[in-house]
Amino acid sequence: MGELGTNHFLFLSAALFIIGMMGVLVRRNILIIFLCVELMMTAVNVALVAFARETQTLYGQVFAIFTIGVAAAEAAVGFAIIMALSRRVATVDVDEFNTLRD
Amino acid sequence: MLVDLSLLPSPDWLLALPQLVVLALAIVLLFADAFTPRHTHSRVLTALSLLGYGLAAASLWFVDGKNQATFWWLFRADGLSVFLSLVILVAAALTVASAASYIDRLEGRMPIGEFYVLLAFSTLGALFVASAGDLVMIFIGIELSSLATYVLTAFAKRRTSAVEGAMKYFLLGIFASAILVYGMAWIYGATGTTNLDGIAASLQTSVQGTGFLEPSLLFALLLLVVGLGFKMAAVPFHFWTPDAYDGAATPVTAFMSVVPKAAAFAATIRILVQAMGPMREEWLNLIAALALLTMAFGNVVAISQRNVKRMLAYSSIAHTGYMMVGLAAYRTESGFGGSAGAGDQAVASLLFYLFAYAIMNIGAFAVVAWLQHRGRGLTLDDFSGLGATQPLAAAAMTVFMIALMGIPPTIGFYAKYRVILAAIESGPVGLFLAIAIVVLSAVSAFYYLRLVAVMYFNEPIREPRQTSTPLLNAGIGAMAVATIAGGLVFAPQIFDLAERWYRALSVVAQVGGGA
Repeated sequence: MGELGTNHFLFLSAALFIIGMMGVLVRRNILIIFLCVELMMTAVNVALVAFARETQTLYGQVFAIFTIGVAAAEAAVGFAIIMALSRRVATVDVDEFNTLRD
Repeated sequence: MLVDLSLLPSPDWLLALPQLVVLALAIVLLFADAFTPRHTHSRVLTALSLLGYGLAAASLWFVDGKNQATFWWLFRADGLSVFLSLVILVAAALTVASAASYIDRLEGRMPIGEFYVLLAFSTLGALFVASAGDLVMIFIGIELSSLATYVLTAFAKRRTSAVEGAMKYFLLGIFASAILVYGMAWIYGATGTTNLDGIAASLQTSVQGTGFLEPSLLFALLLLVVGLGFKMAAVPFHFWTPDAYDGAATPVTAFMSVVPKAAAFAATIRILVQAMGPMREEWLNLIAALALLTMAFGNVVAISQRNVKRMLAYSSIAHTGYMMVGLAAYRTESGFGGSAGAGDQAVASLLFYLFAYAIMNIGAFAVVAWLQHRGRGLTLDDFSGLGATQPLAAAAMTVFMIALMGIPPTIGFYAKYRVILAAIESGPVGLFLAIAIVVLSAVSAFYYLRLVAVMYFNEPIREPRQTSTPLLNAGIGAMAVATIAGGLVFAPQIFDLAERWYRALSVVAQVGGGA
């Protein structure tokens, strides 16, 4: 067992990012898709902080704090839209939303 | 790693005057919404909004020619930011003119105060991207602009299609943001800074030094292009565009087809040209391929649309493609801070196209909103016989369609001409793209002229409802006049203004000395 290096954190970050991305592409439940995007944002934070340690600068840590803030704002707006939609259509399956068609 | 904060120079607030004016506007609107009496409510808020955007545009005059960075390199006031801010503010003011009566009367009277506040915040976010000097600033600006636009899309919440369009826009929008910010993280990891000029300097040394680019940089570039492609609505990242444009209330569609797109292009120019300029050999062909796909797909699919709003949505995808050609033509020999050359013309043509597109596209959507006021729908048939019953509206729509097609003497022709010129000068790939623009413009003539033909040669279906919309009429008139006058008289002047973008790359001094 060696010491934890930057690469370990980057692999963790990439794994989280890919899991999140696959979730967005495969799952059909709005709430799950939303959570998967949040997982991708978390992967970004891990990468930012790992790079901040690697490059011995503070930009990454500051950026991560802003990313967390933005993710919170996204959640607020997202749940508002999900609420407004669930009053119209009683489902959380994205395939059921087909009012708009070519 | 510790920094003594007292040693940092103090920021120059005056450089951020346009942004501060719009921020003040948003806060004033919040209060005015609560405390204005009911019978003057709508008029006061509309007047306040127009005044605010006018003041912000006027304050650009103080910033113009300063070419300085402040707020510790987070914020830049340079040629690029001034021109983009002008486009964004003009688009915001035109949206207010076309939205006031729609929001107040149609779709069950939506709350106009909240609408204007969200509009102001979305505009503010786009203005921040235009003036960004740092990846963090670009990300925050794009998010502020996008989040407000998601809510605006869902604003007609009594209609299921509006909320559904907003949901699709929201899910794909945050997905794109996550990809974009992951790309930013990798750029930061490879260069050790989030400052745009710092990234450019770091890439310059690694390109010149070894001639070998780290794979992580290419990975970051790919993520950034995908993320920005979503925000710009480039094919194959365009899925949200037709649904969101179709679902949103018409003035919102007009707004979101211009301001968030302008913010996305601002971010693209800042990141690809300013920060990643030294590795342009890597991204130029990628952008060229995306541009070709985008304009071909947009134009071909627009042909089969019977719904005018969807047709304009696909047409806006096609216009994104034309603008990306301007970016793909950026093949400067002189590099940064060099004299103005072919590469500068390319980005200037993109900026000018954005300005022309803002006017003619908002104009086209404003005429659609005008018809909705008069009890008509959104299909092609709803436009039949308009030339006989409403000659002025039909004439205005014809002007916008001809401009979107790119036929002289309109501003749309001059914009397309400049993009084609820049593309031809840039080399064989550019020449191919220029030919593609000409061919696809001929394709686009089919669906633009079909609408004109329906208006003039079909029999009117029924007499339209009588109603009065003075502000909307004035806005459509102003945009129609600007479309013609811009093409006949002012195009060279506006293009000269756009050309000053290259000063964006020569900002060296930080305000307040030191550092």
